[in-house]
Amino acid sequence: MTDVPASFDHEAALLACARGERRALQALYEHEGRYLLGVALRIVRDRALAEDVLHDAFLNLWNRAASFDPARGAARGWIYTVVRHTALNRIRAMQHEVSAGDDLEEMADRAEPAVDAPEWQADLGRLDECLGQLSDAKRASIVYAYVDGCTHGEIAERLQAPLGSVKAWIKRGLAALRECIG
Amino acid sequence: MNASHDELQWLAAQYVLGTLPHAERQAVEQRLATDGALRAAVDEWETKLHPLTALAEPVQPSASLWQRIERSLPMPTPVRQRGGWHAWWESVQFWRWSTGAALACSVLLAVLVLRAEPPARAPAYMVVLVAPQDKAPGWVVQTGGSGRLNLIPLGVATVPQEKALQFWTKGANWNGPVSLGIVKPGKTQEVPLDKLPPLQPDQLFEITLEPGTGSPTGRPTGPILYIGRAVKVTS
Repeated sequence: MTDVPASFDHEAALLACARGERRALQALYEHEGRYLLGVALRIVRDRALAEDVLHDAFLNLWNRAASFDPARGAARGWIYTVVRHTALNRIRAMQHEVSAGDDLEEMADRAEPAVDAPEWQADLGRLDECLGQLSDAKRASIVYAYVDGCTHGEIAERLQAPLGSVKAWIKRGLAALRECIG
Repeated sequence: MNASHDELQWLAAQYVLGTLPHAERQAVEQRLATDGALRAAVDEWETKLHPLTALAEPVQPSASLWQRIERSLPMPTPVRQRGGWHAWWESVQFWRWSTGAALACSVLLAVLVLRAEPPARAPAYMVVLVAPQDKAPGWVVQTGGSGRLNLIPLGVATVPQEKALQFWTKGANWNGPVSLGIVKPGKTQEVPLDKLPPLQPDQLFEITLEPGTGSPTGRPTGPILYIGRAVKVTS
């Protein structure tokens, strides 16, 4: 469970960064740094690498602040997006998973195994309810991918399930989430 | 919902979820720059899944990480490290100096004005660009309201190899400086202004030292070599 950061105007901070005000970037760092480092660390799983990611992500935020468009989503979400994708790009570049495509044979329905699905106390709002409606295997696949930066192969290993099943669970799980969140 | 819409949704969802392999992630990121439909689908998934970021426990960064970030920010000279455009804008000392430099150049300006084309309908402006360190005037900017400005060197400048001079301007309330392009040292040159709003009194102009092909970020990244503000010329 994370503490909810106190009220902070993320959009104003990004606009100030776009004007070249370093203090705004620093305020953003002071406000969100530990949450963002937490997000990066879960994905890259190495403390030094996670700090490298945060460093690069803050340069990205600085350089791209002028391109932030409030019409496309909330400023806080955008900031997390920049950090997550910086982290994902960093670990994916070090991995050699080739895209196997969606093997239709393997995508066939299978009995879903009983898995230790991740649990949490954080309030995720509507997403919480929608994730709760998914089977354990689908919920676990999605959370391991998004929060832990797992590849399909890593999720298959964690759930002791065939790769094709994991892909199918993710695909169906996301479709159900989309329907549910609206 | 048609097949290509489903495919787009699926691609966007996998990108946001993080399960795409490296090459496919890069392909998506390239497409995002130009593909509005993909961008909209990605934005939608980012918003939907964002609450999951709360599942990561906060981790306090090392004490030195902020200094490391700050050192990497693209403002390498002492001038910019004092705070970039805004510090300049707000610096009384700077404006006192540049006003002095402007007055010192008034004779030269008068000559230039007299030599200029007959005044057009739009107001004419002059800018003296001075070096931040010694306040020595380096360039004069002159407009006749004809949608162009003339950039006139006052001396011979040398530019390090693989570097270039880039010319910028920023009006009050603009989000950031706008590039007026690479300029050649020591040469009078004409710069079109047709894509910019009409010049304003006090509009800021500067020349920075950038990589040979210009700033990679679209914003000044190198040291300020010359800086000055537009002054309306009354004839």
